[in-house]
Amino acid sequence: MTKARKNARQLIGTGMHRVDAAGKVSGETRYLNDMPLKGILHGVVVRSPVPRGILKAVEPDPAYNWTGITVATAKDIPGENVVHMHDRTMPLLAEVGAEVRYRGEPVAVVAAKTLAQASAAAAHIRVEVDPLPPLLTLAEAVAVFKSTPDKFDSMKSQDIVKGDIAKGFAEADDILEGEYEAGHQEQLYLENQGVVVYPQKDGSIFADGSLQCPYFPVHELNDPLQLPPEKIRVRQTPIGGAFGGKEEYPTMLIGYAALPALKSGKPVKITYERNEDILFTPKRHPVWVRYKTGFKKDGTLTAIECDYILDGGAYLTISDVVMFRGILHCALAYRCDNVVIRGKVARTHSMPCGAFRGFGAPQAIWGIESHIDAVAAHLGRAPHEYRQQIHIRPGDSTPTGQILSAENGSTTCLKQALQRADFARKWRQSSQGKLRKGQQKLYGVGLAFLGHGSAFTGDGEAKFKAKGRVELATLANGKPGVNIRVSSTEMGQGVHTIFTQIAADALSLAPEHIRFPLADTAFVPNSGPTVASRTTMVVGNVVYRAAQDLKQQIEAFAAQHFFRGAAATLKDSQLVAKGARPVPFAKVAQAMLKEIGGASGSFQFNLPDSIRWDQTTFKGDSYPGYSWMANIAEVEIDPLTYELAVTRVTAVIDIGRVINPVTAGGQVEGGLTQALGYAVMEKMGTGKNGLYDAARLQTYIIPTALDTPEFDIHFVEYPYTFAPPGAKGVGELPMDGLAPAIANAVAAATGRRLRQIPITPEAIYEAVHGGREGTP
Amino acid sequence: MKNIEKIAFQFPTTLAAALRLQANEKTRGKLLAGGTDLMVQWASGVPTPERVTSLWNLPEISAIRVLADHVEIGAGVTHAFLVDCQPLRTHVPALVAAAGTVGAKQIQARGTLGGNVANASPAGDTAPALLVTDGTVVLASQAGEREVSLSQFWTGYRQIAARPDEIIVAFRLPKRGKARERFRKIGTRRAQAISKVMAASRIRVEKGVIVSAAIALGSVAPTPVRLTQVEQFLAGKKLTPALIAEAEKLAQTTVQPIADIRSTAEYRRWASGRLVRDALEHL
Ligand SMILES: Cc1cc2nc3c(=O)[nH]c(=O)nc-3n(C[C@H](O)[C@H](O)[C@H](O)COP(=O)(O)OP(=O)(O)OC[C@H]3O[C@@H](n4cnc5c(N)ncnc54)[C@H](O)[C@@H]3O)c2cc1C
Repeated sequence: MTKARKNARQLIGTGMHRVDAAGKVSGETRYLNDMPLKGILHGVVVRSPVPRGILKAVEPDPAYNWTGITVATAKDIPGENVVHMHDRTMPLLAEVGAEVRYRGEPVAVVAAKTLAQASAAAAHIRVEVDPLPPLLTLAEAVAVFKSTPDKFDSMKSQDIVKGDIAKGFAEADDILEGEYEAGHQEQLYLENQGVVVYPQKDGSIFADGSLQCPYFPVHELNDPLQLPPEKIRVRQTPIGGAFGGKEEYPTMLIGYAALPALKSGKPVKITYERNEDILFTPKRHPVWVRYKTGFKKDGTLTAIECDYILDGGAYLTISDVVMFRGILHCALAYRCDNVVIRGKVARTHSMPCGAFRGFGAPQAIWGIESHIDAVAAHLGRAPHEYRQQIHIRPGDSTPTGQILSAENGSTTCLKQALQRADFARKWRQSSQGKLRKGQQKLYGVGLAFLGHGSAFTGDGEAKFKAKGRVELATLANGKPGVNIRVSSTEMGQGVHTIFTQIAADALSLAPEHIRFPLADTAFVPNSGPTVASRTTMVVGNVVYRAAQDLKQQIEAFAAQHFFRGAAATLKDSQLVAKGARPVPFAKVAQAMLKEIGGASGSFQFNLPDSIRWDQTTFKGDSYPGYSWMANIAEVEIDPLTYELAVTRVTAVIDIGRVINPVTAGGQVEGGLTQALGYAVMEKMGTGKNGLYDAARLQTYIIPTALDTPEFDIHFVEYPYTFAPPGAKGVGELPMDGLAPAIANAVAAATGRRLRQIPITPEAIYEAVHGGREGTP
Repeated sequence: MKNIEKIAFQFPTTLAAALRLQANEKTRGKLLAGGTDLMVQWASGVPTPERVTSLWNLPEISAIRVLADHVEIGAGVTHAFLVDCQPLRTHVPALVAAAGTVGAKQIQARGTLGGNVANASPAGDTAPALLVTDGTVVLASQAGEREVSLSQFWTGYRQIAARPDEIIVAFRLPKRGKARERFRKIGTRRAQAISKVMAASRIRVEKGVIVSAAIALGSVAPTPVRLTQVEQFLAGKKLTPALIAEAEKLAQTTVQPIADIRSTAEYRRWASGRLVRDALEHL
């Protein structure tokens, strides 16, 4: 903590206990599948049996008894058959006569009184497809890109250009190229996807769901359901984890459930079992990234050229924005005057990929942080010392020409992480392919350094104008208090707790007076989706300002009604005025509720006027603020079997003002563990049938507690002063750097650079014995 | 788990009663011990049986006996019970180590040795450790008991040499005596891991010479296998670094592993030899 906390009762900066802990620990919290629902139908999605083809028929078997069963096909879509995400290409259900584009693409929804009945009936729907040859994987798409670029099918392309790349390469003393790949990653939230759609008498719908972004369905299903936004109401149920997986997908699920609900007039619930959830919901985008860098003898980078291709799957959905975030992180962290980055979203015949913690940035940073280590090795320089020379710091310009302000702790993170981990000494002990004296295992230490843009890209937040309210209300316990009304959702990350802290401090009110009800679009203004590491920074600021607004109203009321016009201040849950006895907050609030029916403070977020952004050229201030991290991994590899253990991970992080060091630390440990899985074990291939080969918990391997390393996590604070309390984002950044840090450590241990994750014993074996890979 | 509520469960409380049920086709049920394999199979779509005979309440098959030159472990003994049994650590340490790597604590508390063997997965963790003891499986039916050598028990992928009316009651395992045992599993992670390759060995060295060697591998063939060629090669030879290197190579040329979701054929082949080396380096 950089600043002394003057006010003893201040909660920001403390590890206040989670407000949702008691319910979750005791089991009182009811998730969607725990809720007893009567009179509802259970929905089952009928899917394309092949990855690509012309849909010939979707027909219920005439011999089957369909009484009590509702079948909805594309014909039952009230409006236009399109889910309006970032383009208008994806149908809600595939239409007969049109092309199906991935194995499992929904063609019908069957609903019945029980799940068993619905599943049995679904098996009696004949789905006939004339198959067409599919292009299933990114590897196939990249092969096309390399051999016949004009035949490469990109759903969206975007370049970033800075300086003169030709000049940059001309000035270089040396050039190094490298390609890096990563595959799908599954979010694996504990609670599978689920929604219930209740059709209303007036033709509108009301949906309950385990979802991150309550306002997405409100605005994306208008065309197919022919309902204006005010006729789609969405309420968040308690979320058992999301990690991005419940960002865009629940909109589709609500769309599927809405069709039989509207047709039958009965509520329809759809929840997935694990296997269906893994097979047919979005994952992290596979990536192929190629770097070509030019540098001087002294290491100065003169040119960075990069191709960054994501596997978007069959439809764009939100992949354009994932790719944008990706390319904005491809060369963010290093000084270089001449940069070209070309981003593309490949179309393949697979389930559309989507949001997952990091949103394109982990894929970019996997590439650049591997490559920078390769450049250092090429130059004969130590990776830490080289990064200290070339890393970006305040006053430098990013690839989009943004000048970093003094509120960026990039240098401090790097310096402190190297010190805390004793990197220089450990680097010298790295085995480099041969056991050193006294070593039983091949030892290596590796470093990654990165920034992560907080909030929406560019001027997104300025355009969006997140709204929120803090309202005086009678709480569920009958006492007067304050409700936080924003659309940010609690999914385990702790937002209910930290917003309570923020509101408490802004109001100078004890947290027991404050509640944060689950988001319901009927009651909360649109503060935006719970994504993009924006919530604490942007919506936290909205809550802070709205609470201050409410505080003034309470103080004005108290002055008039309790202190005969003398100026009153709300402080430590009391209203105080000079020369008068303090009045408890509850008493004033009660009076306000009774006499003027309550009060509400509100705020609308904006960015500083100085922010400049050009969405077509990708020039300007690409993010309002950046968090930073230096991430160090130590690995031990058993020379007998190439089994790999990540023994210790150091992370020094600047996320601006730390609102709650305990939840922030939890975010970091969780994110690093997810990144560990990405780096060394989580593996998902695609079979010829278009299905993922690892579609169960038995085959999709994620780390257990025993696989986690010792963590040393440390925060340094460079607050984002424009938006008090000054947080930047922490949600995604922990996912960004560990994979390359581990790959770099593996290179230091084995003398081999692995260019593909996960780094399994098999991969190390191939690198060492297969002779396919050169030295780092 | 679609039809689990339709299964007729029978819970005999004596072995005799269980054998009676199994003797008659009309009352015979699918045998259920801890259920840690069966429940997963049923949940993932394997058709559920009409009837199930639970073995969970049979005291006769749930004991461990330490006898003069062998140990007898009941088929109903859980991995947790096995791991906690001090004498077994002395006499069959590889088996104890293997049982300790099954799943995690919860699975070990429920899963049984009999279930692991009868499930007959080539990746069953206890199989190689059982194989190197040269022990037997004791099968019971109303007709009486018979013993089958463990080396002949796994007849093919997920197939065992037991008749439908038989129940595995115990494993008779000769003690290791002066031989040394080792077990090593290469899994997909540190817990809750199915093996990519694993090895168990029981090797006796006297005065620097290998007197007898038993080495078994899991996950490299349709059944758990003994490396008889390597064993014969080693027998009577002086233990030297050169011999270890040769044995490693020989193991790599004798196994015929396949690629699957957990590993590649090349890695399994290589690692098979590495685990043989590991066994020989720890004598
Ligand atoms: C999460 C998880 C992790 C696991 N990890 C591992 C692991 O790491 N290594 C490993 O090897 N296994 C693992 N398993 C599989 C399983 O736990 C073991 O194979 C266990 O030993 C099975 O014993 P059980 O008593 O539960 O068998 P059950 O499921 O009850 O039965 C398995 C089979 O054996 C038959 N059977 C059981 N007892 C007898 C008997 N006495 N006579 C004849 N037939 C019988 C049954 O009919 C059935 O076909 C795991 C399972 C789970 C769910």
